[in-house]
Amino acid sequence: MSGLMRGLWPLTLANVRSFYRDRSALFWTFAFPILFVILFGYLFSGSPSNFDVGWADQDGTPAAAALRQGFAQVPLLTLHEVAEADALNQMRDGTLDAVIVVPAGLGGALQPGAPPPTTPFSLTVYTDPSQQTASSTVAQVVAQVVGGINQGLSGRPPSLAVDSRPLQTQGLSNAAYFVPSILAMALMQLGVFAAIPLTAQREKLILKRLNATPLSRATLVASNVFTRLIIALFQTLIIVGIGAMLFGVTIVGSPLVALGLVVLGAMTFLSIGYLIASYARTEDTANSLASVVQFPLMFLSGIFFPIDFMPEWLRPVASVMPLTYLGDALRQVMVGGAAYAPLGIDVLVLGGWLIVSFLISARFFRWQ
Amino acid sequence: MPAVITAPVISVSELRKHYGEVKAVDGVSFEVGRGEVFGLLGPNGAGKTTTIEVLEGLSKPDAGTLSVLGLDPTRHAGQLKERIGVQLQTAALYPNLTVTELITLFGRFYDHARPTKQLLAEFGLDERSRGLTKELSGGQRQRLSVALAMVNDPELIFLDEPTTGLDPQARHSLWEQIEALRGQGRTVLLTTHYMEEAERLCDRVAVMDHGRILEIGTVAELVGRHFTERSVRFTKRDELSDAQLAGLPGVHRVAHENSETVLYTPDVPATVGALLDLGDQLGVAALDIAIRRPTLEDVFLELTGRALRD
Repeated sequence: MSGLMRGLWPLTLANVRSFYRDRSALFWTFAFPILFVILFGYLFSGSPSNFDVGWADQDGTPAAAALRQGFAQVPLLTLHEVAEADALNQMRDGTLDAVIVVPAGLGGALQPGAPPPTTPFSLTVYTDPSQQTASSTVAQVVAQVVGGINQGLSGRPPSLAVDSRPLQTQGLSNAAYFVPSILAMALMQLGVFAAIPLTAQREKLILKRLNATPLSRATLVASNVFTRLIIALFQTLIIVGIGAMLFGVTIVGSPLVALGLVVLGAMTFLSIGYLIASYARTEDTANSLASVVQFPLMFLSGIFFPIDFMPEWLRPVASVMPLTYLGDALRQVMVGGAAYAPLGIDVLVLGGWLIVSFLISARFFRWQ
Repeated sequence: MPAVITAPVISVSELRKHYGEVKAVDGVSFEVGRGEVFGLLGPNGAGKTTTIEVLEGLSKPDAGTLSVLGLDPTRHAGQLKERIGVQLQTAALYPNLTVTELITLFGRFYDHARPTKQLLAEFGLDERSRGLTKELSGGQRQRLSVALAMVNDPELIFLDEPTTGLDPQARHSLWEQIEALRGQGRTVLLTTHYMEEAERLCDRVAVMDHGRILEIGTVAELVGRHFTERSVRFTKRDELSDAQLAGLPGVHRVAHENSETVLYTPDVPATVGALLDLGDQLGVAALDIAIRRPTLEDVFLELTGRALRD
């Protein structure tokens, strides 16, 4: 083997081993974000006791009115009469938590004496899976009401069924908002704090010693990047897993796009970490610098609260922070959150930070 | 002239390397033959490490002609690194890898690598093979560092102050390892500021100070070049007057150091014989005579006007 591949995997394996044998690195990379997820989850998980449901009656028969009566008796739901198109818009805005559509033909299907249908008549129910409490409550209520009607018409095959449809809305549950945020934060820290082992390796002359072997510098850099990406994937699995298990936050968008964003985000912040390593002479300096840099990156970005909540004068700052865009992109893809910027812009901004930091560190990084 | 002249393994001519205003290496020239153990001897800051790092292809010279294993380290660093072994002044080990993992890792950087087990046995690291390098003793770290330099079975090995900071036992153990390298016909270039190390290990020595080479030769040559006298010393006896001692054959000078009388002479047998006779005549029994030849330390003092480890 020669060139870039020579030593790449053995060195990556060595880096990963060095990483998982370092307890403090393990804590900050895995335990810290997990604690964050759990803490935020329980702090902000007070669930509403009442849900606003849009009622779009396209049938207009007494049977539909009776059905409405059945739903209206459930104390958890407040029904609002609206046309289907308006209802869906209101749900996207966050005014409605779910929408039930009664298609025309219900009256005919349920008429006493009518021949039993070969296929049950379907109600259309829109819920937002990322709004976990609302969607599961509405789904349960609908199932009970529909089940009751089917039982009342016993002796016949089930006449009513439910056609559930997911709808992405802007009103995200707290958990759905902060799980992508914490993932973005964890990726940021993973990258920024990569400055520490790199500076330590230079300070301990490990980089110089490697330079005395036929290993190429490109291989050394590639191996460092791969190491961090491997750790980033583990972080993602753990954070997304905890979010799904404890708070029911599931990925609604494309997992592949989400993975691509994780890789892009990890590399962007890794470049910023290398920038710090280019500037810091000692491991201690790198440590303090990384700690100092992470705070504005974190709190001046919109990852823990929407940018609209920020004071006017702070918004331009947030609008250049890379973490704003990583959080935004992950939220859009993972939980269908409202876009701060189009996904393409998110990717462009992250890519811009990646290239600029990489070029600066390539220029100023000292190997010994 | 011999019919076949083997080309030197290292050939350096007028090497210069400046760091800003500091002339770290200021016109150094020397050659190292195949199978030779060559020492660069000098105090800290003499330019030893800079010289060795230029030869290893780790830093670029400002001026000078270089040839290492027939290659130019500035232009063929890649090829050269495949064939040399390097030990840096600081051990430079990944703290969280085990001894076995680190040796195996370094092996993967080369086209040809020696089996890890062989190196573990050769450098006495078998017992610590599963230990993390950060848990090794100073001597074990240095042995591992030399073992890493041997991973690619190199023809030429650079050792930069291999025994600095080691206790005497660890130092002697490492000296045995380095002597074994010579036994295998490898060429070794080492730097040191220990006279004893240079005297024991090196076929030839270059004395460096302030970026220049002051003298090159075998230890005996260097000493002989500067000192023709040996010192004959014994505990001072009042019966023996300075005038009598100065009259003994060969004695150039009589001196007193602490409680000792010191005679400087180029002819030790004549002086000592006459001294014993004189003692017999005067009834001075059991003179505890010690003969010391000047060391590299004295040569260094003579060349630079200061002691080596200042």
